[in-house]
Amino acid sequence: MTTVLTAPRRDRPAGLRAPRHRPPLLIGTGTLLVLLLALLGPWAAPHSPTAQLAAPFQRPDGHFLLGTDVLGRDVTSRVLSGGRTIVLTALAGTAVAGAVGMTAGVLAAMVSRRLGDLMVRCVDALAALPALLIVLVLAAGFPGSDTAVVAAVGLATAPFSTRVLRAAADTVLTSGYVEAAVARGDTRRAVLRHDVLPNIAGPALVDTALRLVASLHLTATAGFLGLGQGGAAPDWGRMVNENVPGATLAATPFLAPALLLVLLSVCVGLLAGRLADMVGRGTA
Amino acid sequence: MRVIAFAGRRLAGAAVLLVLLSGVIFAATAVLPGDAVSAVAGVDASEAQRADVRAGLGLDRSAAERYASWVAGAVRGDLGNGFVGDRPVTEVVATRLPNSLLLAGLTLAVTVPLATLLGLWTGLRGGGADRLVATGAQVIAAIPEFVIAALLVAVLAVGLEVFPRVSLVPLGGTPLDVPRALVLPVLTLSAVGLTVATRLLRVSVADAAATPYCEAARLNGVRGTRLAARHILPNAAGPAVQALTLTTGALVGSAVVVENVFDYPGIGRELQLAVAARDIPMVQGIATTLVAVMLAVLLLGDICARALGARERHGR
Repeated sequence: MTTVLTAPRRDRPAGLRAPRHRPPLLIGTGTLLVLLLALLGPWAAPHSPTAQLAAPFQRPDGHFLLGTDVLGRDVTSRVLSGGRTIVLTALAGTAVAGAVGMTAGVLAAMVSRRLGDLMVRCVDALAALPALLIVLVLAAGFPGSDTAVVAAVGLATAPFSTRVLRAAADTVLTSGYVEAAVARGDTRRAVLRHDVLPNIAGPALVDTALRLVASLHLTATAGFLGLGQGGAAPDWGRMVNENVPGATLAATPFLAPALLLVLLSVCVGLLAGRLADMVGRGTA
Repeated sequence: MRVIAFAGRRLAGAAVLLVLLSGVIFAATAVLPGDAVSAVAGVDASEAQRADVRAGLGLDRSAAERYASWVAGAVRGDLGNGFVGDRPVTEVVATRLPNSLLLAGLTLAVTVPLATLLGLWTGLRGGGADRLVATGAQVIAAIPEFVIAALLVAVLAVGLEVFPRVSLVPLGGTPLDVPRALVLPVLTLSAVGLTVATRLLRVSVADAAATPYCEAARLNGVRGTRLAARHILPNAAGPAVQALTLTTGALVGSAVVVENVFDYPGIGRELQLAVAARDIPMVQGIATTLVAVMLAVLLLGDICARALGARERHGR
């Protein structure tokens, strides 16, 4: 993803908005670092993230670098182990949303206008539900399951993808070259493969990036609310929830995961925004 | 009259949507009742005890039958009783919803004036300040609400000890009895709402400023506050209100999270407790209520936007 974003572009006019065109090195590095920490962290944990090793809310020292949490577990180990679930769940949720949104969006554009409008109407009804409500309701139906969180995150974010991609596919389908292709007898499948899909790849990429931002947001919140795989498993969101009540006793147990979540969501959010700017200008 | 007919049509649409969505909520929670029985009967209950509990909860009937009787009750204002503590769902909703609406009202009171000022300023001026505010809004919007809340707690409740960390409300009292406890929840929600509202208003203001109508006013020598208040705002308000109501869903979600961070006695806190306790009727009742509230806000927003739009047409 970063290679795409840092690719030099020479066709841009210098001017008022020029400073924004620098490759997002800082944000890219930040994203990469926090993702590496989240994905590789579990192997670097010095202690077991779930074992009670000392008294609760111990101050940071040489043995426990970030102190201990509400149950006397090592905060360093839990911070190192707590990001993987969030990142993987968010990625899986984005993949589900992307697949559903892409299929439904392109389908709604390819079928007759009436049927397409009906599909979008149904999708709008789903979009009327608050995303978090979908997550909470599904978690109540399927307790303690990470798959339910993935499904809920995908379901909650897919409606927006469907709309965006239908609009994008619609623009392509009503363009002159597609009319020419249909007129010379290309099949629908050929039109889909050679005209529609290549041309909506840009919007689809931007849309996926924006869905990833939403997915991270929702996944972290689901963790905070104690949904998904429960119990002692470390999770940055749940760590904030567990340790905020002891905020006056020790700050590191909830500040460390909170700041990592800030870093992760802000970096990914800014990258997605930058990507949207780039593609938006490229196609406009 | 046209507005009334329009409102009637939208009301009917919203009612149909509410029935559909309540069906979706019911299906997601009630079609798999396995855990509801274990939650009530206990894990080590015998098969006979479980069957008793199942019959007692009415779970031995088919899902369609249960949904029909649930809807019949809901129409009469009876959402059934929760599994935990056998509390009537309607009563819980009636006592908790006002607290949440209070939170929402205070947030609106903080957000609307600030967002209007920021939106007008950035939308009209553009340039560096505009970029700064836009980036700031983008950054804050990306951060989950509970993280913002935790950071505010770290600074204002633990660091400076200005406000209490939890919104404890005395038994039988209302949150208004302890105004200090309301500050942190309202502050968190306002931060989230402000980013959303400012971004939407900024776009509407920029659009309104680009209309020939405003251009003409500017050429006639109307400037500054007068231009903003008399010419831009009335034109930007309609689209902005409509766009803003579309984000209600996200704000309902934020409110649920914020109530949980601060143990605020609102409906979102009850919803999370009900989910944690697998209290299915409570989840269904509260979720449906939240959807109803949201649809009502959407409807209100549509009508407001239309009323504002109508005035704009006469104004020209």
